[in-house]
Amino acid sequence: MAALGARRLLRPGQRWFSETVPGVPSPPASPLYPPLAASITAKSKAAKSRRLQRFNQRVHAAATVEEKLRLYGKLQRPKYMVYPQTFALNADRWYRSFTKTVLVPGMPPRAAAAKSPVAATGTTPEAGRAPEPGAQALGAAEVPQAAKTLEPAAGAAPYLDMGELRSLACDALLQESFYQNKKRPFLYRDQDHTPGPFLTQLVSTLAAFLSSRNPLLAASSLDLNPEVNYYWHHGEEVVVHGHRKGRVDPVRFQIDDNPHLQIRVPKQLPEVVPLESDLGDVPVIDHKPSKLPLFKKQYENKVFIGSKVADPCCYGHTQFHLLPDKLKRERFIRERLEDQIEVVYRSNGIASLFAWTAAQAMYQGFWSEADVTRPFVSQAVVTDGKYFAFFCYQLNTLALTAETIKNNPRKNICWGTDSKPLYDVVEDGSVKGFNDEVLLQLVRFLLNRPKEL
Amino acid sequence: YPLFQRGGPQLRIFRPNFFMLAVRPGVPQPEDTVQFRVSMEMTKVDIRNYLERIYNVPVAAVRTRIQYGANNKRNHRNQRVKKPDYKVAYVQLGQGQTFQFPNLFPEKEQDSETRSFDDFRDKYMEKEKQKQEGDPRRGGVPDWFGL
Repeated sequence: MAALGARRLLRPGQRWFSETVPGVPSPPASPLYPPLAASITAKSKAAKSRRLQRFNQRVHAAATVEEKLRLYGKLQRPKYMVYPQTFALNADRWYRSFTKTVLVPGMPPRAAAAKSPVAATGTTPEAGRAPEPGAQALGAAEVPQAAKTLEPAAGAAPYLDMGELRSLACDALLQESFYQNKKRPFLYRDQDHTPGPFLTQLVSTLAAFLSSRNPLLAASSLDLNPEVNYYWHHGEEVVVHGHRKGRVDPVRFQIDDNPHLQIRVPKQLPEVVPLESDLGDVPVIDHKPSKLPLFKKQYENKVFIGSKVADPCCYGHTQFHLLPDKLKRERFIRERLEDQIEVVYRSNGIASLFAWTAAQAMYQGFWSEADVTRPFVSQAVVTDGKYFAFFCYQLNTLALTAETIKNNPRKNICWGTDSKPLYDVVEDGSVKGFNDEVLLQLVRFLLNRPKEL
Repeated sequence: YPLFQRGGPQLRIFRPNFFMLAVRPGVPQPEDTVQFRVSMEMTKVDIRNYLERIYNVPVAAVRTRIQYGANNKRNHRNQRVKKPDYKVAYVQLGQGQTFQFPNLFPEKEQDSETRSFDDFRDKYMEKEKQKQEGDPRRGGVPDWFGL
């Protein structure tokens, strides 16, 4: 009652002995209480999101890339092991859904200026390739100049000698399969016996031959049997049994891949299409990944491109994969699973390249909360010794976790060809039915370089 | 019997207890996967041959596991009662075929007679229950005492 009386007496403009005057705005003093925030240790969704935000800030604030990688993969939990070379049926569809990748058949259209013209056997393959509008214009201009010749033309534009390249490839093949005296291969070790050394020899000689035309190859690093690892989260699931039963967890994946050969370069390959392009649909699979079948294990969360962070060759150029004996064509044909042959190549290309490009992006400091600002491009050749399939991958987004994928329209893109034979048969010291197109595509891959060079 | 070698005469016939029972999966499976309970002695090769030769079903892949039956229940003599073990096979069909386990107990459409009978029965039961209960104003308190 006394307070009511006191308030009635107070007029605007008059000062009371202790209260602030209503007409004047209150002075901007520091607030008496800290801002309201959720608890950190409570068992509630708000507390969990606050813990996640603190973790994200910690990773953002990490000083070096090594520290970021260490914090990113610090917490170990059971995760799905994704094998690029798998016999699981329709694995490439599942892998595309895990990595948010669009598969575009055929090779990407190349910018005409970046290609050096190739001698005449290049005309039919160039016309036959997946749409290359710019290259066709260039090809039509070059055809009258590129004569059907085996000698390189002396001039400003360097011509590639198909005969020379063909003889290099045939030499490597014959040396491994005909001239060298080898014992019979051990059981299920056929791939290490002949196609493995052939691939190594072919790539190293071709890279050395082409390094004069491609200065990027001269500064590159060729790894033999390197290791490529990547760890990521995608989607959410409820923990089924155990002491953490009932909690909502992200689905964790890990790829541990050992390509046969790998070329790493100090400068990044140019982007093929702009960052926000949409070239197709990503398959959506509602089932749990364990139905593929895919199995869980808990071990180190490793992110590795083949060399440590301090290496100057931190961008990827080309990977070469050799399919193991378990996945050879004859086995699929015997079990009447002919459509799965291509699936093997595609799943290997998609998974390995996703792991490599994503690890390269993490080496530059990007991660799922800090998405890539420029696309990362790499190439791969998957072979079983005779059949070659070519893949080109553009990583547009790393944000695949449940929160970051919601407003993310970007998709990763993979261009891939079907497997084609390089030769028909090797007998009596000569290679029958050599396919120049495959060699040409391989050479194109090796000659790929950024526009400045 | 003489020892059998490959190519020799087959003098004995084996009749193993091979059976396969298609079951509804407990967790949702992909469209091309069928779940079976099979005899414990069957291998993946046996399952594939069984389906391909007897039923002409193209099989792409087979995966098996053995489900352990629990031994926790006790009978009236406090002896443990074991539920039997069984083998489960997940068969992925070839040639792009799919399979969905059918609904074995679909809800039948009721004709007007049964529907009116059901309504009449429900109303009668409600009236009986109302007679059993006491005065709702007493709030569930029994009426054998009081004024």
